[in-house]
Amino acid sequence: MIRPAIVFAVVRRELLEIVRNRTLLAAIVLPPILLVAIPILVTALGARNSLPPDVVANLVAARPEWAGLSPRQVADAFGLQQTLLFFLLMPATIPLAIASYSIVGEKQTRSLEAVIAAPISTAELLAGKAIAAVAPAVVTVWLAYAALIVVAGVALGTELARIVIDPTWLATVFVLGPAIGLLSVVIGMAISSRVNDPRTAQQLGTVIVLPLFGFFVIQLQSGHLLSAREYLLAAAAVFAVGVAGLRVGVRLFGRESILTRWR
Amino acid sequence: MTALTQLTDRPMVRTIGLGRRFGDQWAIQNLDLELAPGEVFALLGPNGAGKTTTVRLLTGLIAPTAGNAWLDGVDVVSDPHEVRRRIGLLTETPSLYERLSAEENLDFFGRLHGLPAALRAERIEELLRMFELWDRRADRAGAFSKGMKQKLAIARALLHEPKVLFLDEPTSSLDPEAAFIVREAMATLKREGRTIVLASHNLDEVERLADRVGFVRGRLLRVDSPARLRAGAAEPVVIADLRAAPSSDLVVRLRDRAFVRDLAVDGRRVRVRVSDPESATPQLARELVGCGADILGIRVETASLESVYFDVLGIAPTVNGAPS
Repeated sequence: MIRPAIVFAVVRRELLEIVRNRTLLAAIVLPPILLVAIPILVTALGARNSLPPDVVANLVAARPEWAGLSPRQVADAFGLQQTLLFFLLMPATIPLAIASYSIVGEKQTRSLEAVIAAPISTAELLAGKAIAAVAPAVVTVWLAYAALIVVAGVALGTELARIVIDPTWLATVFVLGPAIGLLSVVIGMAISSRVNDPRTAQQLGTVIVLPLFGFFVIQLQSGHLLSAREYLLAAAAVFAVGVAGLRVGVRLFGRESILTRWR
Repeated sequence: MTALTQLTDRPMVRTIGLGRRFGDQWAIQNLDLELAPGEVFALLGPNGAGKTTTVRLLTGLIAPTAGNAWLDGVDVVSDPHEVRRRIGLLTETPSLYERLSAEENLDFFGRLHGLPAALRAERIEELLRMFELWDRRADRAGAFSKGMKQKLAIARALLHEPKVLFLDEPTSSLDPEAAFIVREAMATLKREGRTIVLASHNLDEVERLADRVGFVRGRLLRVDSPARLRAGAAEPVVIADLRAAPSSDLVVRLRDRAFVRDLAVDGRRVRVRVSDPESATPQLARELVGCGADILGIRVETASLESVYFDVLGIAPTVNGAPS
């Protein structure tokens, strides 16, 4: 049985440490600033060439709501749509950074030895750590998304700005992103328990980013835009893998291995 | 905790055939031990002797390969969670969250132990005042000296009023000043009547604090009080320093006395091996004065815990390659 008060205690402590770790804080705060700026700049300053008519036709077929846009606006919309990738990257990288610092930091100070001597279960400890790593990323992404909607409306006009609130964006920001965050934490914890430097853990953990680029490459190469349904299916798959990983982690993250193998 | 895991006759700590193997190597085996409530028990042994493994077994942090242990009647193997409610553990390193303040560190562990907010605040203030850290409560633990960190770690171990306190090498990495501070803190805990298991290789510390000492080297080799261990190691020697070397008559006369088991003269120093120094020392003084010797000083020398340590563990200490 997981006791919420104990999980909350772990989350609270983790968050206190995060806000006092400048490196980590920078890793959380800087990406959303870029996340809002890059899509706008890419769209506003990017090549304004129209796409070939057959590609435009394919895109409009995939996104009937773009039918009212001019060919150049379709090209802009297509470009803006690709920046959705950044909203997948951030939920992957921020929890990875937090989880890496959290676990490796505990190894360096041996602070977990005292924790596991307290009446807390492994599931409670890992749940607290996972929430504390995913929550800042999710909140940050949501704040960045809100800012993007506002800035896109002002800088690009309402017709293009509407693109960032279509179902694919909503599915990405509110469903797939948190699922990727969970998977990222699981991977971050697994790698961090094997290495002694948070940067090494982060570098190894970036393998999670590679499949995300798959979304980008598929769309760019094929001119086919993934639908909201496809994003939701991806989210369900990623979430299932994340939960399974967490359950495996609870089994593998034994007290004995922390004491005898974490060096 | 089930009824089956409760013991009716309840020492505070009890082990039967307890052992733990890592790979093919036994870290500790066949450990049979009973500790009474309020007892301070020291585990003495060299590095790698199994002291830390024993502490980890008794605190339910690792599972035994053989045997079992009970803490306050609770089965350590089947109910380690309940055991962890009843123990306080000071690990070899302070294991603090260095970005958190002293107060925040204690607050976190108070929450893990389920202490209500008011009680938590009360205990934190009480302990920080006790260890003279109250004025530094808002400072980050990372800014503390080693001694202060260790004191904070002891405060953390005491926060939930544990039945048994385990102190694993509490002064091993500290400088003399910090070690002194921590030893004073431990002496305070002993005066409060707490059950303490102290794993150490600091003989002075053990002698000052422990009611009983257990020598460990892969197994429990001997258990007794420091005084009985010393007394059992060799008979005490009464040493008298005289103004002038004793005459041969005096030496012969002393050798005839019943309380003298052995006698040696080294210049103006007389060394008399006795069985009961309390009665022999005044007798020796009377004999010396009666024969006209002027006594500059007289004292009793018993075997040191260090010599007992070497004897029990079968260690022949050497200095620069030569036996010391």
